[in-house]
Amino acid sequence: MEGLKAVLVDPFADMVAAPDFLLQVLWEGLVSGVLYALIALGFVLIFRSSRIFNFAQGIMVVFAALTLVGLHSAGLPAWIAFAGTLLVMFLLAVVIERVVLRPLVGQPDIILFMATIGVTLFLVGGGELIFGGENKVMISDALGMPSGAFEFAPWGGFLLLEARDVTVVVGAVAMVVALLAFLGFSKMGRAIRALGDDHTAALSVGISLSTIWVLVWFLAGIIALMTGIAWGSRAGVSFALQVIALKALPVLMLGGLESITGAIVGGLMIGILEKVFEIYWGQPLLGGSTEAWFAYVLALLVLLFRPQGLFGEKIIERV
Amino acid sequence: MKTMKRLALIGAAAAMGSAVAAQELYTPNLSYRTGPFAATGIPLMNGQRDYMLMLNARDGGIGGVPVDFEECETGYSTEKGVECYERTKDKALVTQPWSTGITLQVLPKTNVDQIPILAPGYGFSPMTDGRVFQWAFNTPATYWDAMSMILQEISGGDLASLEGKKIAHLHLDHPYGKEPLPLLEALGAQYGFEVLPIPVGISEMQNQSAQWLQIRRERPDFVIMWGWGAMNAGAITEAVKTRYPMDQFVGVWWSGHSDDLQLVGEDGKGYRSISWSLPNDDAPVMADIREHVVGAGNSLATEEEIGEVFYQRGVVISAILAEGIRVAQERAGKAEISPADLREGLENLNFTQARIDELGLTGLMAPFSTSCSDHAGHSGAWMLQWDGAKFVQASDLLQADQTPIEPLVEEKAREYAEANAPWPVNEACDG
Repeated sequence: MEGLKAVLVDPFADMVAAPDFLLQVLWEGLVSGVLYALIALGFVLIFRSSRIFNFAQGIMVVFAALTLVGLHSAGLPAWIAFAGTLLVMFLLAVVIERVVLRPLVGQPDIILFMATIGVTLFLVGGGELIFGGENKVMISDALGMPSGAFEFAPWGGFLLLEARDVTVVVGAVAMVVALLAFLGFSKMGRAIRALGDDHTAALSVGISLSTIWVLVWFLAGIIALMTGIAWGSRAGVSFALQVIALKALPVLMLGGLESITGAIVGGLMIGILEKVFEIYWGQPLLGGSTEAWFAYVLALLVLLFRPQGLFGEKIIERV
Repeated sequence: MKTMKRLALIGAAAAMGSAVAAQELYTPNLSYRTGPFAATGIPLMNGQRDYMLMLNARDGGIGGVPVDFEECETGYSTEKGVECYERTKDKALVTQPWSTGITLQVLPKTNVDQIPILAPGYGFSPMTDGRVFQWAFNTPATYWDAMSMILQEISGGDLASLEGKKIAHLHLDHPYGKEPLPLLEALGAQYGFEVLPIPVGISEMQNQSAQWLQIRRERPDFVIMWGWGAMNAGAITEAVKTRYPMDQFVGVWWSGHSDDLQLVGEDGKGYRSISWSLPNDDAPVMADIREHVVGAGNSLATEEEIGEVFYQRGVVISAILAEGIRVAQERAGKAEISPADLREGLENLNFTQARIDELGLTGLMAPFSTSCSDHAGHSGAWMLQWDGAKFVQASDLLQADQTPIEPLVEEKAREYAEANAPWPVNEACDG
């Protein structure tokens, strides 16, 4: 009976007793969710257009952030360094398409997946050789990201929103809107979607596979840079950032590999739910550190009922 | 330019490797310059490497035999660490596992292979009991020493004053992070303070908002951190964000890296870290390293890094190993020693202040000595404090209270031996 109360009653009583704290938990969950969604978006963009599960997305986040910091420390002004990083990510997309993907066109998906593992190892080695493995300070101030915090006192309590977190959330929303507009209304965006819907049909109407691959890898590179700035401004830029890519996996399982909406909704759901579960159930009842597995269990539960994820395409194949 | 230098050094290292003569002191280091923990590893590995390179350049090695200081990269992964151990053990005089997880895995193997483990300031705390852990050394101080000294410092020297207080133990969810818990919980029960363990998973190191929300809710009187790599920076930035009082936040010696505090700068002022080594740029050994290694273009460290706590701690770690080799050579009466000879050398370390000065290590470490039964030496440590720009010494030399530690060491060492029976115990060891 006491156990049931601890699971079914006490957490909700805590939420009601300290609503300001609950709001803080929800905010922190939202910020984490936005960041998870950003990483997942990079995976989805590439998967939609090429059916490649890009294992290198996590290290692309690190590589982009390190390039930005590296160019700035080499003496370039922040926004020039930002533009330079975009150029580097574009060149990276071109090189990956030419050297890795093009020779493997027509090969099974698993071969392309293995190729992205190779890209990961190359970027890890190259990144460490060029930039070193030390923790670096993100150039948030130089980029004009505000510092400080907004303080509120809801119900006489205390709620603190870091200005940088607010910037990250606003920036991420703006980027997603721009991305959706690009995919929905531009010629190239529609070509990406067409390739995602049907490769053969898209190729038959003259859409260039290589151009689209360069474009989606570049878009994934832009997302990686934005993610790197967002995460790096919280706890520095180091190779530990690639570990956060692990967080995208349950988001993709939950939202579906092909769905941009799924990546966004899945990321936000996991970010908020894992935080609420950790604070109100995980820490008091399970000793904490439930964030390491909660998202996977949630995704597993969803997969039991919807194997294609919440927003994934249901694939029916004749046998 | 820096990249070209690195490439050149790698090429030179490869060339050296193929030209190494048979007569050498092979002291492999299971390093972690890559992965999520690289930020902690790189300066430590650079300090270790540069000291050995300096000995080779200045003295032709130790006792006239060059040191082959090879690194095997583990990325702090226990599986890779065990592979590195297996790969290097045939020629190795010593193994330096560099992770409590790897140490625990290779501990039984070294007993069979008869190779000393050198784990300075890390590993399984009961390894200090040389009767049970004949091949393991955790000089100059153990994690339990660290916890004892931290508690003394935050209690003003009287642990009874902690009665009724709440102490959070924010730790990496890994064998390393859990290592001090047995002592902390025993002392909590004895002195009446509450212990609140807060684990941080590896995938949460960079986003510890849940852990710091728990700290905000529980309002602990002190937070003691056992962090490694990226976890340290994540915790310190969250502490600032949560506005936790920095003077109530104390870390172990691996949570005192300047780069992690640079992220918050002035906001981190007051944060403390216990440390068994002190940075001292004026120590003669640092001048020798600058002359023979840095000046010769053979160091991988940056100028800024050389002045920091972790690099200079790496120097001290290699100095402890080098002294062990020297003592072993003297006792064995030969320059080319075996792992068994080195074990005897490490059991007879005697770092008096005079010897520390003679080795040029003045101001970098505290005196200590080891024996057959004491494989740690319990040198004591200082409290360092972040002043907004750098770590500065904030206490005199502290000493761990061995009264509660010794019975716990005996109990846990006995438990380990029983769980791994048949486990050889050196009953003849009485001092």
